[in-house]
Amino acid sequence: MATDTTTDTPAAPAQTEVDLHDEEHLSHLQHHFVSSEQQFDSAKLGMWLFLITEVLLFSGMFVAYAVFRQWHPETFAAASQTLDWQLGGLNTVVLLASSFTIALAIHFIQKGEAMKSFWLQVGTIALAGVFLVVKYFEYTSKFEHGVFPGAMFDPHGVAHGVDYGALASYAYAPQFFSIYFVMTGIHGFHVVVGMILIGWIASRTYRGHFSSEYYTHIELSGLYWHLVDLVWIFLFPLLYLV
Amino acid sequence: MSHDSHHIIPFKTLATVFGALIVLTVLTVVAAALPLGPLDMPVAILIAVAKASLVVLYFMALKYDKPVNSLTFSVGTLFVVIFITFTLFDTAFRGDLGDVSSQTVDEITRQETEAGERQQQFTPEQMAVSPADYEALQNNESAADTTTADTADTE
Amino acid sequence: MDAATKGAEVAHEEHHDEAHDQNYLQYEPGIWNWLTTKDHKKIGIMYAVSLALVFLVAGVLAIMVRTELVSQGETIMDADTYNQVFTMHGILMVFLFLVPSIPAILGNFVLPLQIGAKDVAFPRLNLASWYVYMIGAIMTCAALYFGGVDTGWTFYTPYSSSTGGGVIWMTSAIFVSGFASIFTGLNFIVTIHKMRAPGMTWNRLPLFVWGLYATSIVQVLATPVIGITMLLLILERTMGIGIFDPALGGDPVLFQHFFWFYSHPAVYIMILPAFGVLSELIATFSRQRIFGYRAIALSSVAIAMLGFLVWGHHMFVSGQSAISSIIFSLITYLIGIPSGIKVFNWVATMYRGSIWLQTPMLYALSFLFLFTIGGFTGIMVGVLAVDVHLHDTYYVVGHFHYVMMGGSVMALLGGMHYWWPKITGRMYNETLGKIAVFLIFVGFNATFFSQLVLGAKGMPRRYYDYVDRFEALHQISTYGSYVLALGLFIVLFYGVYSMFFGPKAPANPWAAATLEWTNVAALPDPHNFVRTPLVTRGPYDFHLADEVFGSGDGVGDGQAASLDVPEPAPAAPEPSEEAPQNA
Repeated sequence: MATDTTTDTPAAPAQTEVDLHDEEHLSHLQHHFVSSEQQFDSAKLGMWLFLITEVLLFSGMFVAYAVFRQWHPETFAAASQTLDWQLGGLNTVVLLASSFTIALAIHFIQKGEAMKSFWLQVGTIALAGVFLVVKYFEYTSKFEHGVFPGAMFDPHGVAHGVDYGALASYAYAPQFFSIYFVMTGIHGFHVVVGMILIGWIASRTYRGHFSSEYYTHIELSGLYWHLVDLVWIFLFPLLYLV
Repeated sequence: MSHDSHHIIPFKTLATVFGALIVLTVLTVVAAALPLGPLDMPVAILIAVAKASLVVLYFMALKYDKPVNSLTFSVGTLFVVIFITFTLFDTAFRGDLGDVSSQTVDEITRQETEAGERQQQFTPEQMAVSPADYEALQNNESAADTTTADTADTE
Repeated sequence: MDAATKGAEVAHEEHHDEAHDQNYLQYEPGIWNWLTTKDHKKIGIMYAVSLALVFLVAGVLAIMVRTELVSQGETIMDADTYNQVFTMHGILMVFLFLVPSIPAILGNFVLPLQIGAKDVAFPRLNLASWYVYMIGAIMTCAALYFGGVDTGWTFYTPYSSSTGGGVIWMTSAIFVSGFASIFTGLNFIVTIHKMRAPGMTWNRLPLFVWGLYATSIVQVLATPVIGITMLLLILERTMGIGIFDPALGGDPVLFQHFFWFYSHPAVYIMILPAFGVLSELIATFSRQRIFGYRAIALSSVAIAMLGFLVWGHHMFVSGQSAISSIIFSLITYLIGIPSGIKVFNWVATMYRGSIWLQTPMLYALSFLFLFTIGGFTGIMVGVLAVDVHLHDTYYVVGHFHYVMMGGSVMALLGGMHYWWPKITGRMYNETLGKIAVFLIFVGFNATFFSQLVLGAKGMPRRYYDYVDRFEALHQISTYGSYVLALGLFIVLFYGVYSMFFGPKAPANPWAAATLEWTNVAALPDPHNFVRTPLVTRGPYDFHLADEVFGSGDGVGDGQAASLDVPEPAPAAPEPSEEAPQNA
């Protein structure tokens, strides 16, 4: 470490080029930040850190899936056949579209077109709703045939060319459906949380709280929503296809 | 002065990425329908990773973002991979603790080589075994080696 | 002490003039203001009070366990109660005390001060962390009410998926309090990245900050996994989803993988901040620049990362595959390298320093001794063949108490003494402090070294009863634990006493060189710094004595009279002046 020279002023992380006198009048700037740039960067890094905790939360389920699949590949193949890939595929497209709309919402708020951004956020919520409705039909069609998670697993009957009764002859089929329901269940919970979050953001956008200068909340909600999409991108092939 | 974190991604880029994601979704469905055998899983994962990368890089704008955010996400993903791999080190090889024998590795290798040589002396017809041969064989070798007998039984 | 007080008086006076005659404790008093405060210092104190309470309860449980084991057969409780008592001791100590301990108390209080920030990046999240923690603590009490838990702190399936009424509550409590840990970790990482004062480069971060940084990485990466594990265990009990319970087709060893993927890194959540505290103590009380700054800083990060690759060493006899046992065992040895680097560097820092044996330094020296024993016994149980003999014996119990109590708690106590003047504005009684540290050190070794011997002789852990030949050692262990407890109660006594009657502390009683001592008033301002400091030197640059620390000849022999208090860092230029610099 060099000896002390007070004139030597190294690059200052907390310093930014933003003029503080303007900043002080900004209502969104919290007192302990130097600039809104610093506040925005902090919020964003915080969000990314939160996202990796989410990723690791889901990773537990993926490990369980990998382990049981590797032990019982035939069971998993057979059980996977009973899931409706068309509904799963539809939901994939729906979620991708919702990711697209929320990305566009950020695009437009950055350009300062708040109302466009608002309607795209509403669109995202609507698509999330579609996702949940499709999921609801998938779940009920399974429950009707006794395909429950865990101890209540009692498959029976035939529907749409799928022989649920045959599942009973596979020793570890309950594990597949436990993993399926827990994974999609936790994912569905995140979808619901995302809808509430974006709903709140949308109402704030409508009331004009955000502008091209300040849209941290929209950007962070967008990041969260993309993560929900990201998880589904992996769930879809693993559960429905292979 | 441009801020990386405030980069506005053009509409066209976003739309292209969305299009690519849909194409990849169709591709993964098609790939699953093809009889790829053991390649099924790797292909599906590969396509999923490609889709995920598109979402992360463009929709989540990590490509234009500060490096520390990319680092954060990479470290997170790395540890997911570690979690899965190290757990599979156990579960994929579970039971190898039972792969024990009273013989040394050298002895086992020698026996295997001998057996291989013996095998080459016979045609498949000569090697066919009837139940009667079995009894004769057991009488001859019952005292010889219990380990190989065990293996034969389980098979 | 008096002389040091005088020596620091000047700096103290200067600060006093600048301050608005208010400190963070006087600012916004009243219960409601405390409960809604976003001040990191107050949140640190709230955590300190909660954690002290948990430590007291868990400590009393430990004394109960030791008392039960003082003689064969039933001594003070029946076997079922015993199972619940040691389980609660473990759960409270690990999840509700050790994991939050240093980051939540000292980290919260000191981190923003050390990097020259007004607060952590997300003050509201910080407060939320405390509330979430309290909810977890309340749910723990609920678990006791609904039938208690007797699984041991590890909740191994299938026993945990079938026993007792309290398991669901307890696992939920751990799920919830995990969020407190994540919030703290997330907050600290962002704070360290984004909130540093001008001139506070990565190479000028105090090592306590580096320790907290490494800890936070582990908290953020590992804690979610215990969340999903506990969630799956709850679903296993309520719906029988059959992931872990062999009766339903699950795999109990998979539970151990999930559990230890968190709980082994959690060990580093406990010890890494302790390393950080130790670096502060050793440097300050040796009046010497830390030896191998970068090595200490980066070895913390290395330990954090390597710590994720060794969880399987808890499972050598669980029936996991031999190949994974071998891999995990090998990587376990690697952990010894960065840990060894640290111990070496601390000792090298003391070499030719002028060591000042105040209470915090005594704790630091105890740490060096105890942690080294803990580390070496750790390598021994990391050896595959040896572990088969030692697994689930008192040897393991002794080992992790040497690391957790001898390491983490010693560092916490040392850190509490060190920062006590800053937190309370008062000095504790040095003589009682020295007596207490002596009792704690002796009591600790009597308690746990005998357990190492017991374990090597084959005494299994968690057993209610034992055979004749173990009795003498069990008695030594129990009486040692009483001495240990006595020492801790003395700390509690003079700590509380000093809060009300202790002499007022100067701003920098230890003549330390980091910002929280040089640039903050005796009792910090509500916004920490009157003017944001401009950092122009490293955190331990005691070798700059002449220029920064006053007269150079006094870097002496550990006599308080010769302490020269470092001058404060200059104030950073007003941000508005900085504006045109690079537009």
